[in-house]
Amino acid sequence: MVACSPVVTGLGIIAATGVGVEATWEAIRAGRSGLKPLTLFPSPRYSRVLAGEAHTDLTALGAPARGSRSDQLGWLAAREAVEAAGIDFVDCSERAGVVLGCSVGGSFNSEHFLSNLVRRGKMRPLPTRFHECVSVVDLIAEEYGLLGPSMAVSTACSSGALAIATAAEMIQSGEADVVLAGGADSLSQMTWAGFHSLLLVDEMGCRPFDATRAGTTMGEGAGVLVLESEEFARRRGAIILARLSGWGASCDAHHATAPHPEGAGAVAAMGAALRRAGLKPSDIHYVNAHGTGTRDNDLAESKALKTVFGELVPPVTSTKRFFGHALAASGAIEAVVCVEALLHQEIPPNLGFSIFDPAVGIEPVTVLRGLSLTHVMSNSFGFGGNNAVLIFSQPDAPVTTRAPQTVQVSIAGVGVVDPGVDTLYEIESPLPSGAVAAHSCGALAGAALLSPNQRRRSSRLVQMALIAARQSCNPDPAQRVAVLMGTGFGCLDEGAKFIENYFSENNPAPMPSRFSGSVHNAAAAQIAIDLGARAMNSAPTAGEISFECALWQGFHQIAADETDIALVGAVDELNKYPLAIGKRWGHWTEQTKPGEGAVVACLIRGGKPESLARVTAVRLGRYHRPFDTEREADWIATSVDLTRVDMVLSGAGGWSALDVHYRAILDALSARAGRSLEHKTYKQTCGEFHAASAFGFSVAVGLVQQGHRGVLLYTLSPRGAKAVCCLESHDSI
Amino acid sequence: MESLANELKVRIIKTLQLEGVQPEQIDDDAPLFGAGLDLDSIDALELVAMLENSYGIVIKDLEAGRPAFQSIRALASFIQAKRAA
Repeated sequence: MVACSPVVTGLGIIAATGVGVEATWEAIRAGRSGLKPLTLFPSPRYSRVLAGEAHTDLTALGAPARGSRSDQLGWLAAREAVEAAGIDFVDCSERAGVVLGCSVGGSFNSEHFLSNLVRRGKMRPLPTRFHECVSVVDLIAEEYGLLGPSMAVSTACSSGALAIATAAEMIQSGEADVVLAGGADSLSQMTWAGFHSLLLVDEMGCRPFDATRAGTTMGEGAGVLVLESEEFARRRGAIILARLSGWGASCDAHHATAPHPEGAGAVAAMGAALRRAGLKPSDIHYVNAHGTGTRDNDLAESKALKTVFGELVPPVTSTKRFFGHALAASGAIEAVVCVEALLHQEIPPNLGFSIFDPAVGIEPVTVLRGLSLTHVMSNSFGFGGNNAVLIFSQPDAPVTTRAPQTVQVSIAGVGVVDPGVDTLYEIESPLPSGAVAAHSCGALAGAALLSPNQRRRSSRLVQMALIAARQSCNPDPAQRVAVLMGTGFGCLDEGAKFIENYFSENNPAPMPSRFSGSVHNAAAAQIAIDLGARAMNSAPTAGEISFECALWQGFHQIAADETDIALVGAVDELNKYPLAIGKRWGHWTEQTKPGEGAVVACLIRGGKPESLARVTAVRLGRYHRPFDTEREADWIATSVDLTRVDMVLSGAGGWSALDVHYRAILDALSARAGRSLEHKTYKQTCGEFHAASAFGFSVAVGLVQQGHRGVLLYTLSPRGAKAVCCLESHDSI
Repeated sequence: MESLANELKVRIIKTLQLEGVQPEQIDDDAPLFGAGLDLDSIDALELVAMLENSYGIVIKDLEAGRPAFQSIRALASFIQAKRAA
């Protein structure tokens, strides 16, 4: 049988242990932790606390100055991985993608902007250009001219592993031959103070699985893998380092920050990864644990390990004391460690463990140990109960990774929180005052659907998402439900309130609920808790195509038979910062007004005639610059059957610089179809915001309901990403 | 003690944005978590921040602080004991 699994041909890493794979493995062999007192920013409130800080001056290592610290970390790891893989993207750029986990994004740099503003009243917004998590993805894609699918995955601490799993789906589905996959996150004052406010930090450094463990250590870094289809790697004569034979994801649907006490979601994710790889638990020779060193994680994870492996838990180590917890990068860094472990046939030691905890019942390996390793597992668990597990295997290991199926996917329902209210949005302190005309969702009438605790605890963004999700479906508890909720900026309000408070004069204690509510996957996680959705939970972010990334992930989770239902959507909220900065930069005009809103669509397997429409195509990519209309029209024509399309819905009417491309594409598509295609836009009603194309999608569903046979939704982002999807009526078959 | 308990009720309602709850509805001995006000672990952390901001009391370990969070009365006694120390 063909091993339908991607292979790893290059590795790159930068972390507290040093720069590069060689330095990292050397530190691991020597048992040398990278933790030391924090120097990156002043932290009088938490002085003397250890941190996993990477190299201070990243530009000195060659990283571009125009980028956030997270961007630079990711760029450096990508450079090493690409060089190691010896790959030249010139002949495969259309089929080369990049997917990275990122949760801090440009916060470290945006904090400079904010502290200038709060403490000195100075408005210098330049660093916020790199605020979005997808910034690092765009930077790397531009560097190598990658034109395949690209996105960031922002599910807090599991992001890096989930990004690698997503890259694997891209390769398995045949949409990419090669994907740079991993994660990158820098330290930031936000996450530093946030983890402290949750009482999750051990000042002396984390001691995973130890009886006296008292929390984790914050770290930073990046890990990047070059993942390729085996056929492509063999064709170009690449050296195959390892095989990604299995991957699995799940959601606890339990709590915003705490893991399920029995590790139920962790068990499900490990089980899913084993099933995908076609392996038994006893085939796994080593587990690189999430092992953060917090009381709750290590206890829940050890219970989960015992549930999955029974009496015979393989050697387990957590490498968190080497690197600190590098959040979205940690899953990627540990993936690099796992591939190195396979290459060297050695398992890295668990630093910081000395006293056995009977409640945990697992004694990790504390010294470097040589061992015959064929299959190794890497666990990553995050806030929102978000779990992702990867299995790496020797290149020649006999594995039969399950392939995705060709499926029909239909839309059973759509929920919309409609940005239909024309508002004059008042910008407040600490920003210079002013007003911006915007499309708002107004007072959320649907909030009555939510419980008092949901209203109390959820930000406006999460409330919008919860309402849309409730409207979209009423799932049967027996069915598996995945939630994929795209967002451009995520919960900006919560994050801004947290950091404004932290920077305020009287040095108050940081606000834990604002921090836990500020993660990009807050909406997806709260929907999962609300609906008991325990399959994959993801928060993709990719600017204007964030919704299409969620649609792509949901579609492929159904094709991979990992879920019965996929709730796919996107959400973004009006917030004073992008409004004020956009105003200063002249983004908002009579035509281009900011908007907000949430849309969730309920995808189901099969072409059920009672459903609203069928999703017949969804494809992601990046456009060549300068924009080449013929080439882009060809890409659409190979993605969508134009003979079935009678309406094109585009993102025109938002960022004005893109309108010329939308118009040119429409003409080129009409020429290919041999008839004039009708064209509609939606941003005049919903405004310009990253999740706007989700609103476009809901309009497309309406058009199919009104009798259109096939509606093509085409979206461009000013930073180079593109997406196309197609909805068809049932009678178009 | 009585006035501290009342003050705490007002602060808790404000800090935790307890919609529609009046101070006099909170029983001094009712559990704050699980039953009673049905607060959760993030609320507990918010109370930790509130204790620092309002009373200058720093709690570094939620487990150690757990007895203080049993009820309004327990919390008021905890603050008084810390003040006396």
